[in-house]
Amino acid sequence: MSLRTAKIISLLVTVIGVAVLWQGSIFRGLGNQQSYQPAQPINFSHKVHAGDNQIQCLYCHSAADKSKVAGIPAASTCMNCHTQIRKDSPEVQKITTALAQNKPIEWVKVNDLPDHVAFNHGRHVTAGVKCQTCHGPVETEDRVSQADPLSMGMCVTCHRTHREVTLDETGRPIVSKEATPKRLMASTDCSVCHH
Amino acid sequence: MSNQQKRWKQFLAAENDGEQLEYSAKSPIAGVSRRTFLEVLGYSTVAVTLTGCRAPEQKIVPYLREPVEFTPGVASWFASTCGGCSAACGTLVKVRDGRPIKLEGNPDHPLSEGGLCAVAHGMIFGLYDPDRLRSPMRGSQPATWEEIDDEILGKLSAIKKSGGKVRILTAPLSSPASRKTIQTFLAQFTDGKHITYQPVSNDAIRQAHLRSHGIAAIPQYRLEKAKLVVSFGADFLGTWIMPVQFTRGYAKTRSLTEGRREILRHVQFESIMSLTGSNADKRIRVSPHEKTQALLYLARLIAPSTDLLNAYEPRQLSVQTQEAVEELSRELLSAQGESLIVSGSNAPDSQYLTNFINDQLGNYGKTIELTPTLGREQSSDAEMVELVQQMNTGEIAALIVCGVNPVYDYFESQKFVDALKAVPLRVSLNSALDETSSLADYVCPQNHFLESWDDAEAVQGTLGINQPTIAPLFQTRAFQETLMRWSGDQRSFYEVLRNTWREEHFPQQNQFATFEGFWDATLQKGVFSLQQPANVSITFKPDTLSGAIGRLQSTSGVNSANELDLVLYQTTSLRDGRFANNPWLQELPDPLTKITWDNYACVSQRYAAMNGLEEGRVVRISNGAATIELPVHIQPGQHDDVVAIALGYGRSKAGKAGSGIGANAFPFVAFVDGSFRYSHLRVTLVPTASKVEFAQTQIKDSQEGRRLARELTLTEYVKGTESHHEEHASLWSPHDYPEHKWGIAVDLNACVGCNACVISCQAENNIPVVGKDEVRRSRDMHWLRVDRYFEGDRDNLRVNYQPLMCAQCDNASCESVCPVLATVHSSEGLNMQVYNRCVGTRYCENNCPYKVRRFNWFTYARDDAVANLALNPDVTVRSRGVMEKCTFCVQRIEEAKINARNEGRPINDGEIQPACQQSCPSQAIIFGDLRDVKSRVAQMKKSGRNYTLLDELNLRPAVSYLAKVRN
Repeated sequence: MSLRTAKIISLLVTVIGVAVLWQGSIFRGLGNQQSYQPAQPINFSHKVHAGDNQIQCLYCHSAADKSKVAGIPAASTCMNCHTQIRKDSPEVQKITTALAQNKPIEWVKVNDLPDHVAFNHGRHVTAGVKCQTCHGPVETEDRVSQADPLSMGMCVTCHRTHREVTLDETGRPIVSKEATPKRLMASTDCSVCHH
Repeated sequence: MSNQQKRWKQFLAAENDGEQLEYSAKSPIAGVSRRTFLEVLGYSTVAVTLTGCRAPEQKIVPYLREPVEFTPGVASWFASTCGGCSAACGTLVKVRDGRPIKLEGNPDHPLSEGGLCAVAHGMIFGLYDPDRLRSPMRGSQPATWEEIDDEILGKLSAIKKSGGKVRILTAPLSSPASRKTIQTFLAQFTDGKHITYQPVSNDAIRQAHLRSHGIAAIPQYRLEKAKLVVSFGADFLGTWIMPVQFTRGYAKTRSLTEGRREILRHVQFESIMSLTGSNADKRIRVSPHEKTQALLYLARLIAPSTDLLNAYEPRQLSVQTQEAVEELSRELLSAQGESLIVSGSNAPDSQYLTNFINDQLGNYGKTIELTPTLGREQSSDAEMVELVQQMNTGEIAALIVCGVNPVYDYFESQKFVDALKAVPLRVSLNSALDETSSLADYVCPQNHFLESWDDAEAVQGTLGINQPTIAPLFQTRAFQETLMRWSGDQRSFYEVLRNTWREEHFPQQNQFATFEGFWDATLQKGVFSLQQPANVSITFKPDTLSGAIGRLQSTSGVNSANELDLVLYQTTSLRDGRFANNPWLQELPDPLTKITWDNYACVSQRYAAMNGLEEGRVVRISNGAATIELPVHIQPGQHDDVVAIALGYGRSKAGKAGSGIGANAFPFVAFVDGSFRYSHLRVTLVPTASKVEFAQTQIKDSQEGRRLARELTLTEYVKGTESHHEEHASLWSPHDYPEHKWGIAVDLNACVGCNACVISCQAENNIPVVGKDEVRRSRDMHWLRVDRYFEGDRDNLRVNYQPLMCAQCDNASCESVCPVLATVHSSEGLNMQVYNRCVGTRYCENNCPYKVRRFNWFTYARDDAVANLALNPDVTVRSRGVMEKCTFCVQRIEEAKINARNEGRPINDGEIQPACQQSCPSQAIIFGDLRDVKSRVAQMKKSGRNYTLLDELNLRPAVSYLAKVRN
């Protein structure tokens, strides 16, 4: 190896090394899908439904307070309203056609956690965590995107600070913002999410 | 200038050389130089790789119309009945997002009481077995149901006209509605008959009761009511009639909880080492011949006034056995009406004599309930043999086989095959292209029981319902519906079933006013108990006693030195071979031999030593007509004149997992005096030159003087001898458990070693099957294993079982050696294994004294889309290079915690049951919160019998054991 080659290699190593130290987050972000905003088979707008018309999240995502998953509404749920409202819209027609042809709608998953993570929507919703805490201001979006990195750091940051859960007089849990060392309710045990 | 630089310069020069350019212009891809081509290739590879870095697009497909009471991601539970065998245990089926993924015991079922056996847990794999037939077949060609129905209907109507004989061959069916459907179908023909066939038969019990009590039925044995049970070779905890129910009853009467000081005593006479015998308080090793003689001698001692027996002299009994029988007779006479004699023999005479002794002791109506229950609608062995003869002579016009496989398991298989060829219409309703189906004209695959409606009445008055938990996966049809189509009935079997219940069972009860209420309640609970019927008859008929005694006396033992007595038995996992294609059951170690994926010829230690046989030596076993080759396994506790071989192996067309495993021993079955015989079979054994290595999961038999699986005698226990365990000082600071501290207590006195927990764990935790070669390399993956130890001498062998799961130690030796913190302690006392952190150093496995950690040496097969449907979505599927182990079913713990918190209440004791605990037929495993002093597990750990394994290491495990007590 000549001196010249050695010089070039060492320069490269230095530049890459500095880049890693200076902008490490670029490398940590591998696999990060934040702001992923895929096109959906139906041009459904959360802004119109949850924002303008104030439909509760749980009306459509009805499993969110009792299951691991929030649940995507069945086509029949859409038709609860759309048999009356905007029947002729081409987008609504897609649902009508799907029902008529008995062909389920294939939505594209936006927020996709890795398979080794067992996140439970029900527990978080019941504990009073707002949907927007993780999903961002969905009610302002026409096409939904992934608002947060949904990384483990994000989960753990929250679990470390929201420690105590107390119940109010009606039996609903109140999540306190301060860490209380005595009772560790929002656990940071690995096996809580990974099993 | 170095050589390298020189070459580089030459290369550059060559690029500008006119000649070379001319050459490249002549190349096939004109205008693109090799260099450019490679550059483009390189860039495009990089581009493709970079775009590939994006996560693949995932789809969510919701329902069009959501079913009622369905929540995605939340399991639904359905009460049903296990269709594995005719014992019909109650099950709860866990259904996640439309897929049944786990069977558990139904605690509301009056017979199985929440217990299930290993086979039942394996049924989930059977549902998603990729070798199941996916459509009906005409010969070996797939066809549609319409075509097949048309053709068969045509042929059947021709038979109807000609008055030909139609036979349906099934396994014993415990379902009254199914039997009725078969009868309706057969009624169309002038000569139609339903014959049931059991490859491993218990027909002798029916025949003997026909002679002794006038009813051909199998009685209900009530172990829970007995104080002394004597078994002559009946493996009632393993494979005999209703093992789960018997294990439940056995464990109940042997339980020492709630201050009980008197427990069931169990005496076993047997020639091979069975699971039941290994649990006996007193086990007497006899040859099959001696067993019969011991039964005769016992009869004489119990009924000295019977003239017929007075003449009997126990000359052929060893002194030891004679003394044992004499002692036993005294014990039995003082436990009249509270004892129970059972015999595993399929000789009607032995069973008749057993009935006689039970009658003399006044056990009928007490520990034996003779209601017309099991076996009521069963055919005799002789009827099966007669059928084959009729087929051979061309008398049978149509044979419909359903759920049985006589080409494999009929004792004269070739005769059956020849006879089958003489039948003009051969139809199989089996669900796979097995040995029998592949010879049929039509195969009309039936549904798996998890896809079907059915009912079950294994014991009269206990009505179970089997409801479908998934729509048929393939183009299959319930066999009842197939027969209904062929009798011109277009209804669904569901309708027929409901009608049967409305007409027959609804009027028999007075709890519900409307049928709908009755039906819904039964469906929800899975079972309905009617008023217990009275015993039909308890008067013993001694008419045929003299004949039986005469015949039994004339039996003889092995005569020459070369001869051995062959005993054929069933293993707890494969049974008669029906489940051979289930890799979970194939890889389940035998409770006693701990061998997987094989059958073998068991011989005694002395026989092996005298004949120079070593473990794994292949021998040729022959009775003149049949010959098979099998490796030898040296089995402690076996009689010297006996060679024992498991049935159910050697399937040629079982499927991917089960074909060609072991050798088929069914050709050795004999048909004597109207019944199939599985012992008293003379064979010779000749060693060959070859030798094999077993895939065995436990190699050491002895505890080597260490007190691992501890035991006490009942006297010691009553006296208050405690199994002390000491507290040692620790260098580690104690853990803080703010909320829970999970722990398990295993009652070794309850555990019978049946292995049900192992398969339950496998199904729950997505544990892979590794195959024979990997098991040989000790790479088996079971998170929970049952260790088995032999102690004592050959005539007084004691067997101990010890289930071993991760002990979740406080001072865990695994945690301190992991270099990447992949195994860490949780705030609830669990040693968590973090798969994503694990780099596979295996230090933890090396440092674990209990050897409960398992390493993924490979990415084990998960490539079958159908088989993968059995996976539990709550448990990560581990990949290669990752360590794994028992988690105490942490997914269940988390689920229970979430439910409790959502409802704002504490977790109730007993709410969380790990998979191993849930279905344990003897309820030997108790899980709970050790911080809650009132919890059952905390109470059990206070017992004097409580100890921890390898106490001296001071690991402070969360799993402790309660010593076994022998009576």
